[in-house]
Amino acid sequence: MHAKMIAAAVALFVACERPVDQAPPAKLAGVRVVDLIPASLSGETWQDAEPFLALYASNTKLMAASAFTPNPGGSASATAPIYVSDDGGDSWTLRNTLPSQAMTADITHAVGGNPPVLYAGIMKVPGFPLNELKTSDFLSVATMTLQSSRPDIDQPFVRTTDVANADRVYIGLNDFDAPEGRTATVDVSHNGGATYTSRRIETRNTMGQNGPSVRPAVAQDHTVYVAYFGWRSNTGSDVTSDVVVVRDDSGATGATPFRHLLDPSDHLPGRLVATHVTIPWSNAATLGQERIGSTLSIAVDALHSDNVYLAWADRVGTGDIYTVHVRRSTDRGATWSGDLRTLTNATDASLAVSTNGTVGLLYQQVTGSGGTSRWVTRLEQSRDGFATHQDVVLATVPATTPTFQFLPYIGDYNYLLTRGNQFLGIFSANNTPDSTNFPQGVVYQRRVDFPTHRLLDGAGAPVAVSIDPFFFSAPVLP
Amino acid sequence: MHTRSPMLLAVALALPGSAAAQLSRAALVKQSDIIFIGTVTQVHAVAVPEVPASDRTIVVRIDQVLEKPAAVALTPGDSVTVQTVRPGSLKPGTQATFYTTGWIFGRGVAVREVGHELGHSPVVAADQQEAVARARHEVNDAELRAHIRTAAMVVAGRVEQVRPAELTPAPARPKRITEHDPDWQEAIIAVQDAIKGAQAGDRVVVRFPGSSDVAWVGTPRFAVGQEATFLLHKDSTTGSPFAMVAGQSVPAYTALHQVDVLSKADALRVRALIRKP
Repeated sequence: MHAKMIAAAVALFVACERPVDQAPPAKLAGVRVVDLIPASLSGETWQDAEPFLALYASNTKLMAASAFTPNPGGSASATAPIYVSDDGGDSWTLRNTLPSQAMTADITHAVGGNPPVLYAGIMKVPGFPLNELKTSDFLSVATMTLQSSRPDIDQPFVRTTDVANADRVYIGLNDFDAPEGRTATVDVSHNGGATYTSRRIETRNTMGQNGPSVRPAVAQDHTVYVAYFGWRSNTGSDVTSDVVVVRDDSGATGATPFRHLLDPSDHLPGRLVATHVTIPWSNAATLGQERIGSTLSIAVDALHSDNVYLAWADRVGTGDIYTVHVRRSTDRGATWSGDLRTLTNATDASLAVSTNGTVGLLYQQVTGSGGTSRWVTRLEQSRDGFATHQDVVLATVPATTPTFQFLPYIGDYNYLLTRGNQFLGIFSANNTPDSTNFPQGVVYQRRVDFPTHRLLDGAGAPVAVSIDPFFFSAPVLP
Repeated sequence: MHTRSPMLLAVALALPGSAAAQLSRAALVKQSDIIFIGTVTQVHAVAVPEVPASDRTIVVRIDQVLEKPAAVALTPGDSVTVQTVRPGSLKPGTQATFYTTGWIFGRGVAVREVGHELGHSPVVAADQQEAVARARHEVNDAELRAHIRTAAMVVAGRVEQVRPAELTPAPARPKRITEHDPDWQEAIIAVQDAIKGAQAGDRVVVRFPGSSDVAWVGTPRFAVGQEATFLLHKDSTTGSPFAMVAGQSVPAYTALHQVDVLSKADALRVRALIRKP
């Protein structure tokens, strides 16, 4: 028995990445990395963390992005900004169109069908109520329209699907007003956000609530998967959790949605992909100045909804701080692989599956230690369930500078999407204009001086290093 | 030497409609975050492609920046796009002081006009700079007076102790685990100078968020030994309006706005504003 435990520990150790020893892979042709901060805000020094990205299917030039970027007008401003691009991500502008005082406390967004509509879920400042928002023209400077609002929620996560007559909108969120402490919820709209119905997806007892991350993913055949953390108990700040996936086969249009995937252990809705994992809930700078506890991502092959990938992070207990796991199901979530990827001291995992079945995995990992530690942002791609994968380093930046202004430092999440033969995504990182920090190259809109690695304001004076959002695109493995 | 009173600095400004036409400079400043002296170079035009041209857009060359957020790159000689309040209100060659808010930030800056003040060419930049600064001072004083009026207590004092808050949750509302948890703390402040609603020597409990979460960024924090002037509001945020000091239940206060915590020297300014009719 003892020998088996040692063997298991050795196998686990071998399976885990050893990031310190890895050399950065070579530059990959066709990768773009663009700092979103526009030239006219060259003097900004804010911590633009927790970025998110939305793509317009009907116009590949149009994109919307967000981060914890404040209205440049100051803290009393009645609106908060989003970034928009009308040239496929080469350049970005900032527009104050969100009804939140200066900044949001959480934001995600997605684009509906035709005509293209941008839906956003925010936690509004002040008071932090959920605001479910919509605009039919995100290039407009008009404030987005409020469709629904309520208090006591966390981490709204917006996905949409294109239906002939009306958009379907799915907003995963942690609803503290849900009964019996089963707080994992999806707000579902089948009429373009005109009305929402809150669907409770937790069917088991919890420790009083679920984890904050509730992540929907939608396939073209209207299969909807939702991943969430089933928090069962806690000891101090360590939460014992199940990692759960529910599924609905008809776009959550039925009276009792998200009940199509049962677990064989108790025959309740919600497949238990992993049980009794330890979630280190830390609302303090814990991993490269970042807090941890809510990393979760799910992605479905849009054309083949049997094929779904899941990533989450927990503490394995082998000396790690936080470890990302990636698993796959090829039978609609009924059975799941073991770990396809196990990434030590990583967070912000985000998955996407391209139309040719290639899976992309974006994540951010701390390598090294102390003053030499670095945040390394990678995009991995695989055609064979991560038996082999292509690895691209998008950024490798100091993890100890700048000092955090607030948490999250780089974000409780980032985001990865796919369209055609491209992966497109967004992450936040230290913005020092140093080419060695961006092995694939980088384009700044804000004023910089690469030879001296300095940021400059409009008058040419040096500007302090801060956290910026970076858009990227990379060709999908053929 | 500028000795004119603020009243004399109030000017008639170019604004749409008669009701708004007599807005004071302070009112314009209050609504503006980018203020500059500039000369109109084009009408029905834009300086950057990301802004759509219309009969309300003009291009203005910056002559002097009077106020702007630090992040905004704007220097003399730059061209900005201005969405005017009223079409046709400004002609090429006109110099004015523009009171604006940020609109679109891209390769260049586009702003929305709040109002403008026509200049006699050339506008005396130093005079305008001082006038705008004085108006901003008026605005800041007015905002502070409003906060003083709504404060239940205004004191100058010293933070003696900081401790985790002991809140009494309502039975139906268990504590939630969320990254936005304020992690309420309590500062015990010894009142040295009782300006409003307190007496010197009082001990006052002030609640503040200890969390580093983004939702609470910019909220004043307290540290033992800190001396300041505090504008305190009865705690209507935590759901637990009372706290314990030396075994006594006392009202709890908050100071969640940036102007609720001022320097100790600001006590004089606060007293003066209270006395001001």
